[in-house]
Amino acid sequence: MSTPSAAARGPAVGTVREITLAQAIREALAEEMRRDPRVFLLGEDVAEAGTPFKVLSGLVDEFGPQRVIDTPISEAGFVGIAVGAAMTGMRPVVDIMFGDFLTLAMDQIVNQAAKVHYMSGGKLKVPLVIRTTLGATRRSAAQHSQSLHAWFAHIPGLKVAVPSTPYDAKGLLKTAIRDDNPVLFFEDKMMYQVKGPVPEEEYTIPFGVADVKRPGRDVTLVATSSMVYVALEAAELLEQDGISAEVVDPRTIFPLDVETLVRSARKTGRVVVVDEGHRRYGVTAELAATIAEEAFYDLEAPVRRVGALDVPVPFSPVLEDQTVPTPEQVASVARELCGRN
Amino acid sequence: MPREVIMPALGMAQETGKVLRWWRSEGEEVRQGEPLLEVETDKANVEIESPASGVLARVLAREGDEVPVGQVIGWILLPGEEPSELPAAPVSAPAAAAAAVSTEEVLGPPTVAEPAPVRPRASPKARRLAREMGVDLRSVQGSGPGGAILASDLQRLTEAAPASELPHVWKLMAERTARAWSTVPHFFLQRDVRADRLVAWHQALRQRLQVELTYTDLLVKLVATALRAHPEVNARWEDGRIRRLPDVNVGIAVATEHGLVVPVVHRADELPVERIAQRRAELVDRARAGRLRPEDVDGGTFTISNLGMYGVDRFLAVVNAPQAAILSVGRLADRVVAEEGRPVVRPTLSLGLACDHRVLDGARAARFLETLAAWVEEPLALLDFGR
Repeated sequence: MSTPSAAARGPAVGTVREITLAQAIREALAEEMRRDPRVFLLGEDVAEAGTPFKVLSGLVDEFGPQRVIDTPISEAGFVGIAVGAAMTGMRPVVDIMFGDFLTLAMDQIVNQAAKVHYMSGGKLKVPLVIRTTLGATRRSAAQHSQSLHAWFAHIPGLKVAVPSTPYDAKGLLKTAIRDDNPVLFFEDKMMYQVKGPVPEEEYTIPFGVADVKRPGRDVTLVATSSMVYVALEAAELLEQDGISAEVVDPRTIFPLDVETLVRSARKTGRVVVVDEGHRRYGVTAELAATIAEEAFYDLEAPVRRVGALDVPVPFSPVLEDQTVPTPEQVASVARELCGRN
Repeated sequence: MPREVIMPALGMAQETGKVLRWWRSEGEEVRQGEPLLEVETDKANVEIESPASGVLARVLAREGDEVPVGQVIGWILLPGEEPSELPAAPVSAPAAAAAAVSTEEVLGPPTVAEPAPVRPRASPKARRLAREMGVDLRSVQGSGPGGAILASDLQRLTEAAPASELPHVWKLMAERTARAWSTVPHFFLQRDVRADRLVAWHQALRQRLQVELTYTDLLVKLVATALRAHPEVNARWEDGRIRRLPDVNVGIAVATEHGLVVPVVHRADELPVERIAQRRAELVDRARAGRLRPEDVDGGTFTISNLGMYGVDRFLAVVNAPQAAILSVGRLADRVVAEEGRPVVRPTLSLGLACDHRVLDGARAARFLETLAAWVEEPLALLDFGR
């Protein structure tokens, strides 16, 4: 996976280093834990193991087992603990190793965390962050490869972040921890080793602000999470055909920066939405519909969706690679919209 | 592509229309705009004109049939088109009797065949642009996927038609109005005035004078005197300051073949009406002949634009920068006005004042308009204005 130079969004001052997305996440957590003693981590294998993806390595050494808590394999249980802790004033950050395991904690997330603030008449808040993963192609088979972020964006009361770069991941995670609402924070498990520029200085990125990762004229590629890299590679392919593609990264799918998406759609008149969730009833559908509603009279072609195939992710590598969006596929759809296929 | 004849919606709430009579039968030629059939609605009988020139190739609703509005009731083959280009006949009707679709068949949606799509394939953006440009999409060649018309096809259309070279006067007008509109902060006042005394004045004076006298001449006199009474209006914005001007020079907007020009009646406040009329006649002649000299158009301090002779009731103008204001004059006509609680018919006219807000504010402009209105309503008041 290449690191896009256009993704550099560091402030002009101070030192900017190239670090991995995993390091950026770890930095965000460490900084927030130093800043606020109410912040603590819990989940499976988060302490000494530092998660299977080694994202949290070393945190237990600095903050101790009281603030970096290993749990049993019991998602419903420890998410419930976190919801309760959040209601009573703590700021827990839960680690759900594979996004697929969110299914086990759905009641705690959807029926409790998302609802408590409303049902208590605003008396209670749930400042909870659930960090988890999405994304296929790790050869992890159907129960460890899903991208289920759309489910949570559907639920009022939850916010959903889908960062694509180390810079965005760090800034958004710090915002998520400081947010008084439950936030689902999805990291593509294939992106942890992606490197990108991150300033040493403190910064945060507000939710609901999309980022144009690459400016262009002829077609807009809206892409989330690791699909941003797919879209950027597609843009390179398109450039060889003389098609100038703009890549827009919403960064959070709720709240959603409709204005930036629509502005880009109005400019180019053609939009492809790319997301790694299943195409059916997915994030791509919501974004495409929103763009069509707002920018209809500036569109030159129907808004097209590119998502994962509507099949359980296969274990066979050959088959698995067929199920997720590729740069070639995105470029091909974009060429069709431009009448250049 | 053959053109469809559609049962039109002639009223807001109309749902169906009844075919009373076809003026052409199948196979007969018809020209666009000629009466093609007569339709009865719940309110009236209406003649429907042919939407195209060609041959009435197929009639789908017989005389006496009641048909939902929007329904295709016939097809016209354009010159050069073959009957085979017509869409398939309705399934329910035998080919020979395709013309006759009974009311039940027409009203029962499943039995009616889909007419061929006459909507050309076009992107939403192209559709919007075509609407804004007043372009019929059927006349545009599409370059998009599947022959779809794209915005660029419409843009090419406007580029393809080369703009004719503009006369110098028109270019000047375009340049000046564009600059004035974009740089002068405009505001507008409007006031309706009684004009019976103005009419009386015009009639009385016209008989005595040797020259042709127009209402514009009288307005030049009234405006010039009002400007003398309100020197703050006889001013201009100059480098961040307001400069009052010593002379009252009233410009008159004159439409010519080549565009708008504004010749000036200099020191109009000092001229008797007769001299104003002479000067105006001379200037208009020169303007129409394209022979205005620089001294005829220089030095204006205020402009009057009168579109009353074109039947315009009221309008607002663009300030003739650097002047501070422009008066727009509508049609002098009998109108019903309220007077002492009763409707009375009187000649009235509408005055519009567009102002540069850097030179004038609403109150100052309104006071000027107040004076002007009072004098239009009673020109004798001029006698009381001494300098």
